[in-house]
Amino acid sequence: MSFDRRDFLKYIGMAGVAAGAGVVMLDKTINDKDKVLGTAVAQAETKGNGHQSAEVKPGELDAYYGFWSGGHSGEVRILGVPSMRELKRIPVFNMDVGSGWGITNESKALLKGRFCGDTHHVHGSYKDGVYDGKYLFVNDKLNNRVARIRVEYMEVDKILDVPNIQGMHGLFTQRYPKTEWLVCNSEFQIPVPNNPSDVPQDKYYGCHTIIDAEKMEIVCQVMVDENMDLAATDYGGKYSMTTSYNIEKGVTVSEMLASDFDYMLVFNWDRIRKALKEGKFKVIEGVKMIDGREGKSDIVVRIPVAKNPHGINISPDGKYAVCSGKVSPNCTVVAIDKLDEVYSGKIKPKDCIVAQPYIGLGPLHTTFDGRGNAITSVFIDSTNVKWNIQKAIDAEKKGAEEKKKNEHIVDVLDITYQVGHIMATMAETKEADGKWLVSLNKFAKDRFINVGPLKNECEQLVDISGDKLKIIHDSAQYIEPHDCIIVRRDIIEKHVKDRFNMFEHPLAVTRSGVERKGKKVTVKLTANAPVFGLQEVKVKKGDEVTVIVTNNDEISDLGHGFALSNYNINFVVAPFQTKSVTFTADKPGVYWAYCTNFCHALHLEMRMRIIVEKA
Amino acid sequence: MVPGCIHPGTISLNTIWYKSSCIMNQKRNKYRRVMQRTILLCLYIIMVFTSSTLYAAQSKYFEHRYEYKLEDVMKAEKFAQKERYWEAYAGVKIIGYVFLSKDWTERHVGYSGKHMETLIGIDTSGNITGVKLLFHSEPIVLIGLKEDNYQEYLKQYTGKNAIKGLTFGNEIKMDAITGATVTAAVQHAIITESAKKVAGIAGMTKHTQDKVRKISSKSDILNWKDLVDAGAVKNILITSEELALEGKEAYLDLYIGLVSPPSIGKNVLGERFYNEIMEALKPGETPVFIFSMGAGSFKGSGFARGGVFERFSIEQEARVFNFTDKDYRILTEVAAKGAPKPKEGGVFIIRGKEFEPSNPFKLKLMLPYRVGTEKKFKTSGVEYKLPDRFLE
Repeated sequence: MSFDRRDFLKYIGMAGVAAGAGVVMLDKTINDKDKVLGTAVAQAETKGNGHQSAEVKPGELDAYYGFWSGGHSGEVRILGVPSMRELKRIPVFNMDVGSGWGITNESKALLKGRFCGDTHHVHGSYKDGVYDGKYLFVNDKLNNRVARIRVEYMEVDKILDVPNIQGMHGLFTQRYPKTEWLVCNSEFQIPVPNNPSDVPQDKYYGCHTIIDAEKMEIVCQVMVDENMDLAATDYGGKYSMTTSYNIEKGVTVSEMLASDFDYMLVFNWDRIRKALKEGKFKVIEGVKMIDGREGKSDIVVRIPVAKNPHGINISPDGKYAVCSGKVSPNCTVVAIDKLDEVYSGKIKPKDCIVAQPYIGLGPLHTTFDGRGNAITSVFIDSTNVKWNIQKAIDAEKKGAEEKKKNEHIVDVLDITYQVGHIMATMAETKEADGKWLVSLNKFAKDRFINVGPLKNECEQLVDISGDKLKIIHDSAQYIEPHDCIIVRRDIIEKHVKDRFNMFEHPLAVTRSGVERKGKKVTVKLTANAPVFGLQEVKVKKGDEVTVIVTNNDEISDLGHGFALSNYNINFVVAPFQTKSVTFTADKPGVYWAYCTNFCHALHLEMRMRIIVEKA
Repeated sequence: MVPGCIHPGTISLNTIWYKSSCIMNQKRNKYRRVMQRTILLCLYIIMVFTSSTLYAAQSKYFEHRYEYKLEDVMKAEKFAQKERYWEAYAGVKIIGYVFLSKDWTERHVGYSGKHMETLIGIDTSGNITGVKLLFHSEPIVLIGLKEDNYQEYLKQYTGKNAIKGLTFGNEIKMDAITGATVTAAVQHAIITESAKKVAGIAGMTKHTQDKVRKISSKSDILNWKDLVDAGAVKNILITSEELALEGKEAYLDLYIGLVSPPSIGKNVLGERFYNEIMEALKPGETPVFIFSMGAGSFKGSGFARGGVFERFSIEQEARVFNFTDKDYRILTEVAAKGAPKPKEGGVFIIRGKEFEPSNPFKLKLMLPYRVGTEKKFKTSGVEYKLPDRFLE
């Protein structure tokens, strides 16, 4: 208690100094009548240093875009940070009856009838270690897919099925020189190929999958004995890395905990390219499969780390990979610049470990403030632990006695309750800025009014701009964000459009009309507030009807819905967007189609009849 | 009574619904007594649109077109057609000019996204002799206005002098179509800009061609006070007191400046945002920044639906520049040290090559505010001339 108060007083003192500096400046440069300007200067000086405000007043905008995975809701969400307002849900592997995702022909072609998804990791495309604002990628652990979101429209444009794997956990994008590849993992080992099923469990494998980001095609897979969960790429464009917690190939909990250590795996991209060039692969399920098992190739390096690790994160200076221990109370710090020596055989894999600092009980994921500190989520203790990377390395050099002092630990923050991932602003880029951190906690009891047995999640916003970590805000989330990235507004905002490029869709409608070919009827509709391009359409019972709607309104934010009564159809078209839907007119009668997305003072009048006549 | 039968519209579309709605209403005679006025009003609106859709193509949905003669806006013995206007004669003497707005200001579009075609007459001194609306598709009926209100609004232009300048809110009152602010603001720009342009062509105004100068590429680091002192930003201050509102603070404290000179733009927007704006410009386009503090709002919120910012415009000689959401990027912070924190702001792109950034221009503002629940308008403006130090 007294400790906290002393710190509080210390900060007051700092604020006083900064304000004082502002006043001095005022005297020097600004005369009395402009004194109001002096206040603004003083405020600017004290911003940061552990005194940030998360308040975003009406009309003000958030400083960061947050991209959240939606876990087993199958979505991706956009949150404003630091307000933590949910700005948008991007349907990905789910059905969204609001926007029509899973209902329109366009989305059905991508989803292929599978509406269950478990999104885990959202990562952006990069250029030179910073997001380029072009794409977001997200994985589906459940149905083993990768989706790509075009940032300009914030909608999914590709979904790729990945064979030969299950439990697609980690996903990461190439950071340097730009994102040409992305990688994803398989947490559950399975037979490769997964048929026949009577393969003994020691013949189950994991595959590290490499995907071409632009073409959204699989480049190859590297098959290993281990399972792999989290993934990372380095800042030099040379490696991808993962943690493995089941080198035992166990299929029960006790089997998976048998070994005293597990691995961090490193994949050498030059050697993967070489293997592909030299044809050193088999084709399994249409994918080039490289054998990366121990003794079978020189592509994979196995660094022994403390038992059952989880997260793997790269420091923004590109120097270190930090594996968080999960079952072990330590993190393992690996020097990335020593990996080449491991590959050339000069040193052993364990020799690139430069520190194994104590963190707490259940370290899961590590993020960074860009000032040399790491912050690790600690699951069992329910804390966020801030620690200095260099101090941990120094202590390791000095020996066990020095390590016991735990001087690398800067601050420990209790969170409420049980954290999974944490992420700091810009922390997965070389421009990590150490402003905010979000702690994605799994339990929310007592933090919000009771909403029934199935509760929301609790995410806590932490000010990391000062020495101490400070909880600023609790926000509720629906099922169940897993991870996020938090990106400076200027990086994303300039790429985001207000309207679609109309003719990108080959069926864009500028003139309404009806075409019939046998029993196939195509209804082309423009939507211009407050009218659809036709007032009535007549079809016969049993016709296969395709309705194509293009929003011809150019004004941003003016979306139209198309809903057809009693036919279970609804979708929304944004300005200049085209969507289509196909259904069988199996019920005779008069059916009103209407605009569901508010558009105009005569929005309610924006409706038309589809008359299904007897065949 | 059905309101539609009392106030038949003028021509075309309105005539059609007039007939059909009256026939339909006769059939409904026996129910009339029990119908409430509000229900009738709803019925009226529904009938207007259902009947019109029966007869008119969908694209003609809201369109109102009127026939015209040149005499409608000017009395003359004869008219002689020139390239983009008519000369009006009394005997052999030219007494004025008649012209169509779309020949001069077609780029001004209203809430509907369409130009409001207007026939305008001016005499040889620049006095407006008449204004007639020929075509529009503004959905004014949706806010409870009638075509008559629109025509009423236009009548006030007759007799006013276009050269001396007509300020929206002063010489021209928008009482008749209060609420249709986008329509009114754009219609005003159409009439004044067209008239000024014709007056210029006809030699009524001396065109003082300012020398066009190049903007300096110098990039000095200037703080907010430096920028104010240098005249790089100009201010409009409207106090609560002058609006008879409570409170001592400014109702609107607005700053405007040109973005293009690096010594201004980089300091105000910050280098990153400045580069983004400048890289996106097409040749001849000019960005300005405007931001404000106080309870008043220069942006308003109408642009969210209609797309047009109706509370301000930029004028340079005869030209009036209005802005839509496509010409706009939000501005939430001012980078210059010591600058106030904007309550709202934007970077607005002046499109086309008609604007000359090295010459003076005016920001004109028509700010709605409320005294109690009564809506009022305050007009204001400021002249901006880029100081020499930002020119080559």
